[in-house]
Amino acid sequence: MNNASQERLTAGATVPGLLGCGLRLPDSTCLGYSFDETCPREHWDHILHQLAEAMTVLAGHGLAPRRLTWTFAQGQIFLIPRPDGALLAVATRPNTEAAENVDQLAEEFFSLAPGA
Amino acid sequence: MDDDPDFLAMIQDFFATLGEKIWQIHCATSADQALELLKVRKMDLVVSDVNMPMLDGIQFLHLLNRSHPDLKKAVITANATEEKRSACLAEGAELFIEKPRSPEGLKSIFIMLEELITWTPREGFQGVLRRVGLQDVIQMECLGRTSSILEIHNLQLRGRIYIEDGRIIHAQAGDMVGETAFYKLLALPSGEFQLHPFESPSQRTIEGQWEFLLMEAARVHDETAAEAAAAGAAPPLEAVPFVESSLAAPDFDARVEETLICSGKGDPLYVWQCPDQPARVTLLQNVAQRASLFGQLMPLGNFDRLEIQLTGSRAVAQVGPDRMVFVRVSSSMEKSPTQPQ
Repeated sequence: MNNASQERLTAGATVPGLLGCGLRLPDSTCLGYSFDETCPREHWDHILHQLAEAMTVLAGHGLAPRRLTWTFAQGQIFLIPRPDGALLAVATRPNTEAAENVDQLAEEFFSLAPGA
Repeated sequence: MDDDPDFLAMIQDFFATLGEKIWQIHCATSADQALELLKVRKMDLVVSDVNMPMLDGIQFLHLLNRSHPDLKKAVITANATEEKRSACLAEGAELFIEKPRSPEGLKSIFIMLEELITWTPREGFQGVLRRVGLQDVIQMECLGRTSSILEIHNLQLRGRIYIEDGRIIHAQAGDMVGETAFYKLLALPSGEFQLHPFESPSQRTIEGQWEFLLMEAARVHDETAAEAAAAGAAPPLEAVPFVESSLAAPDFDARVEETLICSGKGDPLYVWQCPDQPARVTLLQNVAQRASLFGQLMPLGNFDRLEIQLTGSRAVAQVGPDRMVFVRVSSSMEKSPTQPQ
């Protein structure tokens, strides 16, 4: 995982409403950042693993997602897969700047070179 | 279940210690032994190996799905490949775990299994209210010909819609009753709703067919939005967007391709063009369990729905303790009838 990915993820600390985010590379390497004390960083490995499994399950059911959005009463988890198998996960509070910026974050994620 | 008795003995001792004698662990070295045990004892969870002689773990899961569809299932294997993972998850396994090589790994597995065992659906049905979401809930209640009370509230208003045997029979919102209250509730820009067990209302104020009532509610809502826009205010829905732009209404000619509404236990209530109903039910149950897990790992509150954006289509999976819904919508412009998504 290179510095460009890490810088983009850590930059999220300043975005209001961002609970955390994580990246899972095709080799299953995970990098998670938590910006909310109620969700420690260690949980992100588990969350990313479960999200990756959800992608596999959906693919097994003939549903190959371009994006998943898990909506809860107090937040959302977005999962954006890249063609090389990398996954970007973003958790936000609803109606916040972070939630509105997910599309932009996804674009940046896609603009990164495969493996970055 | 594992054909390696040494591994079984080791894991039984370890989990019994960690489980503080609350867990009762029964071991089997073959599928037929496991099935015999399941006949005589009620189990909460089955944990199986994959590579076994005679009947492998994937075939075993397939059998379990038929004989014990509600039983929770996990797989632990030393040979964890993506192919096996996909096959096991597709056969209904909730967890697919690589065999641990250390006591710490065993402890992690114990925690995951305990989480799976203790997972239970929350009581009640709660969701985030959007215009489409609320109409969908009413529609599914009416299509399922069920009886329930839909309680809706936000900071300004609280009300109830009574549905009996799939017919909308009464609505009340603040001082309003009847269709006026019904339309007012469906025009709310945001809020929350809950489904409650049905109780007869003190009066019955609505008689029309639910299809016409929903259409009229949409018309009233559009008029309200237009009046608000003319007065300089943004339309209510746009004023309080809950979801990100990818979830906004599609700007193409959307078409419903598949609908499945079932009870919380997976019994079908309404099925339309669903190619593989048991598989969809398994998928909804899988979504429910993962959502529950996410809710435990992060402060997100109650789960509402999973939106799946696909190429040329999208799908929504909504799960609750007494109702599960799967709807897939595609664009007629982009739809490929030979390639189901």
